[in-house]
Order: sequence, then C-alpha cells, then structure tokens
Amino acid sequence: MSNRVVNIIGPHNLKSLKYSDVTPQNLYINRRKFVEAVCLTSLASLATPLSAKQNYSTIAKPNTFEEITNYNNFYEFGTSKTDPAKYANNLTTNPWEVTFEGISQNKKIFDIAEILKGKAIQERVYRLRCVEGWSMVIPWIGFPLRDLINQFELNNNTKYVAFDTVYRPDEMIGQKRAILDWPYREGLTIEEALHPLTFIATGLYGKDLPNQNGAPFRLVVPWKYGFKSIKSIAKISFMEKQPYTTWSAENPREYGFYSNVNPNVDHPRWSQATERVIGEGLFGERRKTELFNGYIDEVADLYKGMDLKKYY
Amino acid sequence: MKFRAIFKHLPVSLLYLILLTPIPLYFYWGVLNQLGPDPLRFLEHKYGELGLVFLLITLSISPLLRYAKINLMKFRRCVGLVAFYYVISHICVYFFLDIGLSMDLLLSDLQKRYYIIAGFFAFITLIPLALTSNNFSLRKLNIRTWNKIHSFVYVAIILSIFHFILMSKTWTGELYFYISVTVIILALKLKRTKIYKKLSTYSNADISK
Repeated sequence: MSNRVVNIIGPHNLKSLKYSDVTPQNLYINRRKFVEAVCLTSLASLATPLSAKQNYSTIAKPNTFEEITNYNNFYEFGTSKTDPAKYANNLTTNPWEVTFEGISQNKKIFDIAEILKGKAIQERVYRLRCVEGWSMVIPWIGFPLRDLINQFELNNNTKYVAFDTVYRPDEMIGQKRAILDWPYREGLTIEEALHPLTFIATGLYGKDLPNQNGAPFRLVVPWKYGFKSIKSIAKISFMEKQPYTTWSAENPREYGFYSNVNPNVDHPRWSQATERVIGEGLFGERRKTELFNGYIDEVADLYKGMDLKKYY
Repeated sequence: MKFRAIFKHLPVSLLYLILLTPIPLYFYWGVLNQLGPDPLRFLEHKYGELGLVFLLITLSISPLLRYAKINLMKFRRCVGLVAFYYVISHICVYFFLDIGLSMDLLLSDLQKRYYIIAGFFAFITLIPLALTSNNFSLRKLNIRTWNKIHSFVYVAIILSIFHFILMSKTWTGELYFYISVTVIILALKLKRTKIYKKLSTYSNADISK
C-alpha cells in the first residue's frame, strides 16, 4: 500500500503518512470502537473533543472500498451508479496539470507532482451525504485545500473559488452527450474554501484515488451535498463574482450555490429529512440527516445570520 | 418458423411463471446483499422499471396484431397482470423497506412529491383493470363497459411516464427510450379514436371544398 502512495507524492513525504497507509481497515475500525468505549467512561469529556477534532474525522464506521468505488455519481462516465467503475479507467490521470487563475504569480500551470510536493498527506474520515438522499462514510487521504491556496498570492478582490473538471469527451464517454453543460463546474466562497475541513483528496483507504472517485485530485466538502465536491479538477480560479456552477445552472430551483446539507430544506421533489445509509443492506434503517451533515460546530459560523432557506 | 411455434404452444401458465420469477429472485438476491451497495434502491427501481416494461409490452400487443400481423393476443392478459404484480412489488419495497412503514412519510410524500403523486394515481388507475381481468368479469360486464374500464391503461401509462420523468435528475438515455415507445403507442391509439377520426373527416371535407 505505501508503495502506491509514494508514486504520487514522492518518497520524502512518506514520513508524514503514518497511519492510514499501514493500517488495514478492520484494524482502525477496531481502534474506533476502542475510542468509543473510552468515550463511554469518565474520560469522555477529555477523549471526545481531542480524538474527534484533532483530525476532523468522524468516528462512524467507513464504508467498504467495494462500496465506495462501485456506487458513484460521475456523469462524465454515464448516469448509472455503476457506469463510473466500468468506464473511468479510460481517463488519463498521469500526466495531470492544474491551471490556476486569479493569482498574481506568473506561473499558472502546475503539474500534480508540483502541487503535492511538501504537502503533509493526512487521512480524513468524512461523511458524504448525496443530494439524492443516501450517505456513506469515506476515509479520504489528501490535504486541506487551504494548504494549497496559501501558497498563492490571490488577487485582492477574491471572494469565490471556482473549480472545473477536465473536458475530454474521448476519454469520458458521458461527455459525448449534453446530459449536463460540460465541463462540470463547482464553486465555494473563499471563506468556505479556506475552512480547515475543506479537503483535497488524492486517495482513499490509503491508496491512490480510483478514477471513478475523481482521480487524481478532487474536492471534498463534507458539510455540503456530494455534488459540490467536484472530481478530477483541471482548473481552479479565484474570482470576485459568484462562479457558474453546473447543477444550479441546470436547475436553479432545485440546486442552490450553497447546497449545505440541511434536513429542514427539502429538495423540491423529495425530502431531505432522512437518508439511506449505504452498506446497511435491504433492511437497513434510515438515518436522520443532520444540519451541515453533522459538522455544525465547525461550520455554523460561516453562515451566521444567513437565511438557510433562501440561500439553499 | 420455430419462434412462432414456440409462442403458439407456450401455455399461458408457464409464461406467468417465467415472467414472475424475477420478483422473488431479485428479492432473494437483495436479502443476500448481492444487488450492489444500494440493494434497496436497486430493487425498488428494478421492480418499477419492469412494471413499466410489461405495461408497454401489453400495450404493444394490439398494434402488433394490427400493423405487423403478429398475434400475441393469447398472452395479453397475462403480461398485463404481470405488470400489475411488478407495480405492487415496487410499491411494497417503497412502503415496507424504503420509508419503513411510516404513514407520516407516506402522507407527506403524497402531498408534496409530484412523482409519488403521479405514481400513486397510476397504481390506483390499474386496480380496476386488474380486478376485471378475469373471465367472470368479462361475462358479467357489458363489453363496452369493460373496454371503457380497460382503456384507462392509457391514463396509467401516461402517469407512469410522468412518475419516471419527475423522479429523474437529468434526461437519461433510458428515459428518452421509454418516452419514445410510449409516444409511438399513444400515437397509434390516437389514430383509432373517434375524436381523431371525426377531426380528420372534417379536415378532409374542408380540403375537398
């Protein structure tokens, strides 16, 4: 496993990759059970905030690698959940360049290896809540987006960050038809982008990111509906105006720019109050959806005084 | 022709068995967790989609006879009822497994969600058809009344297609496919309605003036 990680970040970064690359899934699930057990004792007040917050990971049980890599919404490879696993291997992820706009540096195009150089790779076990009403728990590896943004000198008037997925209809068969207005585009406010929870994932379960999960380089914003977490990013632009975002352009009534997970604001065609937990099988119980997908303590300040029904 | 011979000698009861087998089979696979990461949605969608497919096959049997001279009339009742059983299975998965028997969720869905409303009425429309699809009803009811009841299948197919469109996030290939088949079947039916015939005779009369 560790060898595969070395491939993308270079050998000198291995030191920072201590726990997820060598710990098999069942082991760290056991460790989480241990943490839960500790929390039940009188140490609760001490153990919970430290263990949960230090690395922002949830203690919920992660989905299996099989589930995470075979149930994807990645319309660039087809609209069925199983299409990405079938067709995403056609995407060339090496070499991979990311273009930056809205920065004062002259060099705007970076190879993925240059971006990853010197970044401390860490694991984040995040909840993922899809706007369709299902959820997963995924052990990502990568780095906080702000570690990347802080490298640049942004234009003074930067208020938003826009992201573009690659447009390669030859490699992405779903892009041959105008199911969506390609390339897929997403955006965040600069405050959201700089939030320590906002993450760039380069892998999961300690391995390189599989193509169907957005290789080689994707966004993960755990308190927003999954479609905000854009995959296979080719361009990042810092801008003053709110950027074009694919789903809210496709259907502005149903998908807002913010799209924060919120059980009290229904999708016009279905309820968002509960979610189906992937991996619970045919007879699994629905889970009550939490405001900001359970990350309320961390992100509520970003939306202080904002009418979440209006800015959905 | 072999194919034709097979159809000629296929007993209807065997066809019931063949067409209904996927219902318990998929459920069994679901229980064994072999339907992928989201077995519930798989089962719900599979039953619903097959219900739509069999409904469309039922509706194609009469145009097949009329325009292609292929006679499958013997199987029409069977396929129609099979469609109804798939629809019931689809609703059972929704009610028992998806919303977990919650009357609150059912009622709020029926008030707010257009695709659930459309689907619900499609199901309601199909009930009298299923109930009168036996020989007893055929004998008891006036044939014109019976035909009238069973013409509601066209209302059901329109509602079903709306149910499908309204629940979709985008215009997928399969959505286009089912819409096209439905439109063709409806167009062929429309050609044979009294209103259309009257209108066309009027317009012909206009032209001849």
